[in-house]
Amino acid sequence: MASTNSTDPIPARRSISPQDGDDWASIAARELRGTPAEEAVNLLQSWNLHVFMRPAADSAGQGNPILPSDIIFVEPPPAERP
Amino acid sequence: MLDLIIRNGLVVDGTGLPAYRADVAVAGGRIRRIGQVNEPAHREINAEGLAVAPGFIDPHTHFDAQILWDAHAKPALAHGVTTIVPGNCSLSLAPLKAKHRNKLVGMFNQIEEMPLKAFEVGVQWNWESFEDYLARLAEDLAINVAPLVGHSLLRLWVMDDAATQRSATDAEVGAMQALLRRCLEAGAVGLSTSFVDVDERLRPVPSRFADFRELDALASVLSEFGRMLQVVPEFYDTDLNIARVDQLAELSLKHGIPTTFSPLFVSSDQRIDAERVMARVGEQFARGARVWPQVQTRPIDISFSFAVPSLLFIRLPSWYRVMRFGSHEEIVAAFRNPDSRRQMVAEAASMPDLWPGLRLRQAQSEANRPLVGKTLAEIAELRQSTPVESMIDLSLEEDLDAHFLSADMAHNDDARVGGLLAHPQVHVGASDGGAHILSFSTYGDTGYLFSRFVRETGALSLEGAVKKITSDTASIWGLGDRGLLQSGCAADIAIFDPTAIDRGEEYAARDVPGDGSRYVRDAKGIDTVIVGGEVAWSAADGYTDARRGALLPGAAS
Ligand SMILES: [Zn+2]
Repeated sequence: MASTNSTDPIPARRSISPQDGDDWASIAARELRGTPAEEAVNLLQSWNLHVFMRPAADSAGQGNPILPSDIIFVEPPPAERP
Repeated sequence: MLDLIIRNGLVVDGTGLPAYRADVAVAGGRIRRIGQVNEPAHREINAEGLAVAPGFIDPHTHFDAQILWDAHAKPALAHGVTTIVPGNCSLSLAPLKAKHRNKLVGMFNQIEEMPLKAFEVGVQWNWESFEDYLARLAEDLAINVAPLVGHSLLRLWVMDDAATQRSATDAEVGAMQALLRRCLEAGAVGLSTSFVDVDERLRPVPSRFADFRELDALASVLSEFGRMLQVVPEFYDTDLNIARVDQLAELSLKHGIPTTFSPLFVSSDQRIDAERVMARVGEQFARGARVWPQVQTRPIDISFSFAVPSLLFIRLPSWYRVMRFGSHEEIVAAFRNPDSRRQMVAEAASMPDLWPGLRLRQAQSEANRPLVGKTLAEIAELRQSTPVESMIDLSLEEDLDAHFLSADMAHNDDARVGGLLAHPQVHVGASDGGAHILSFSTYGDTGYLFSRFVRETGALSLEGAVKKITSDTASIWGLGDRGLLQSGCAADIAIFDPTAIDRGEEYAARDVPGDGSRYVRDAKGIDTVIVGGEVAWSAADGYTDARRGALLPGAAS
């Protein structure tokens, strides 16, 4: 039965909503601390092809494809996790 | 004196309980009594051998424009649908300033595939506010309309060009909240938003520039009225869809509102796992959230040409670049160049499910017109070629204006679709009625529910199927006295033959303003459709002059 006391479900795949002005580098610096900057950006992009592969016309422009409503995964798909 | 008695029918009352034989008495637009009725009435309908059910409710439509020139939302009404919800997917026709009309029409054209000419000829724009739009609708309605407000319109109204450039300031969010509140007071059934759609320039629609704080603020206004939030999630990717389910659950729990997302498809594509999404939906319902996935009954048919962007081959690397970024000339060049062509053909072979059913739907040249209707396999045999090569050749011969139809592309696994449709946490809907009029017919999904999933596969009982598209829908959306055949409820009634109800064959009808055409399906097995106590359509007489359609839920009191 429905109960608001039950514990929160475990997230299927950890994600964040972008903050104002976020780009790959700022998200990488915040979410993947400890990973070298360039590698962190590459990882983020590979986990978020739905944003990274977005054509220029289908983006916010200025080379930053991240939209305020996007979901940005900060870990790989379940199948690719060690 | 009663207005109407429906005699001797099998009452399928919308509760899901077993059907029973009884008369249904109607007066003053409401159901007065169900049982044996001995009083006289102005009109009697003999429903011997027929089911008498609440009128069907279609929660996902884009009839926003059509309902302005066609009070019946044809042919939805003739299929037994007595209530439609327009305004889905972040797009409605109000509130809208005059200066944004062209922009909005462009979005409807791009996203919902509705011709510009139909808007030009069929729509007299004499409103800006949501109140005035509702007043305009109320002038001539044969079907009930429960309109959503589109999030993209709130943004356009408040932010102008910045709506498609950035997130909103606190002041702008406040202004959108006030505007949404006015719409809900006037009688909107909720708010719709989209995380996937692009506008006429292939840029994201305004709602996609909203951050979560904005959506949360708008949900808090929905909470004042207990109204619905509808979203289009990234349905093509299970992880993304699940993340949206979690977001909706958070909003639902925090604000005590119902939410729904559409579509949820069954597909053999590994990236789309409906059962995994449903597992998450189940977890969220268990927490007390309301996150209703909408599942359509019909399989996906897709028409395409290479003259407009098509998503069909986009997962194939060599097609991706040219289809997403290529101009007309570049696509033609890629098809002509032997190297790129060879690679594209090789990759396309990795979609074996596609080729057997693919047909040429439309061609302009005299030479190719006799081939229209044939499968690409048949055409390939005539040309001593392959289906893929024939598709490319035909496209080149027609300067990309060759149109192909792929029937039964996905969502056609009856066992899985039937399992979903019968699932208690699934909302049957997502017809997209009124949209995509040149790609496929969105009408008759309700008939198909009965013909395929009640009669053929038995996934649902007659009573269970009726409940899914009547009282469940009314309860999910808070439509008060609709969706049930019970004394005191509004008299929206569908009378049909349960052994015959179905959707007819798809055909092109020339009934769109501006001399346009669209694909439609006639209803089968429907006898009479009653809206607000009066016959609005019958198999014997067709559409009537009755105008008892209501705006639902009505102005907030
Ligand atoms: Zn839609």
